[in-house]
Amino acid sequence: MSIKIRMRAKSKGGIAEVKALIKHPMESGVRMNKKTGKPYPAKYIDMVEVMVNGTKAVDAQWSGAVSANPYVAVKVKANSGDEVALSVTDNTGEKGSSSITLK
Amino acid sequence: MKRRAFLKNTVVTGAAVVAANAGLLTPTTVLADWNKTAFSAKKTDDALNSLFGSANATESADIKLKAPAIAENGAVTPVTVDATSLDGVESIAILASKNPQPLVCQYNFAAGALGYVSTRIKMGETMNVMTVVKAGGKLFKAQQEVKVTIGGCGG
Repeated sequence: MSIKIRMRAKSKGGIAEVKALIKHPMESGVRMNKKTGKPYPAKYIDMVEVMVNGTKAVDAQWSGAVSANPYVAVKVKANSGDEVALSVTDNTGEKGSSSITLK
Repeated sequence: MKRRAFLKNTVVTGAAVVAANAGLLTPTTVLADWNKTAFSAKKTDDALNSLFGSANATESADIKLKAPAIAENGAVTPVTVDATSLDGVESIAILASKNPQPLVCQYNFAAGALGYVSTRIKMGETMNVMTVVKAGGKLFKAQQEVKVTIGGCGG
């Protein structure tokens, strides 16, 4: 199952703000399960990449301290007609990606 | 379309790993590798040392750090870092000083991006949110205290 991403981007004067909402539990591996006394196993997104027309613009490394169902916004240089893509990978190797063409 | 993007990504990361193995790149310049030392560091200085090779950052008014003065729910603290008024922003790191592992996230910017990041982070208690920006080979920082009424880690 791939990670679901909802993405929006708007270009204004050559600069596009890319906003994304990612559906992910972002379990840090620290939180305890009170019933068993053991921590919930870590599952969080550790790599994020934003590409514009196939060229890397931003890449990020995350820890489990990013909120669950993360929201992320970055600004990239892109005009209308450009393709902006966002891809994520979590620590268990699960991947997700989404791309949109700027209006 | 998705399959194509996926293939492209695997090729890109694969190439970076090969380059790292061959010793062509130093660890700090390999962006594709998750920096385990920095993320598992227990102190902000240790995290910064491992991330940027130095913890010596100067306070800068050019970095706009937007975080709430009081966060009702520490599990979702919105944080925005706007360093677009600095030239040549290469990297932005966000740290929460009192979290078990202070480093929350780190962003690297290529030529096609602006030094701007907005996200939501978890905070266990009232603490300083700090951002360190690497621009033009120098480190700059800004910080702000956020009061947390309900913690975001565990509970």
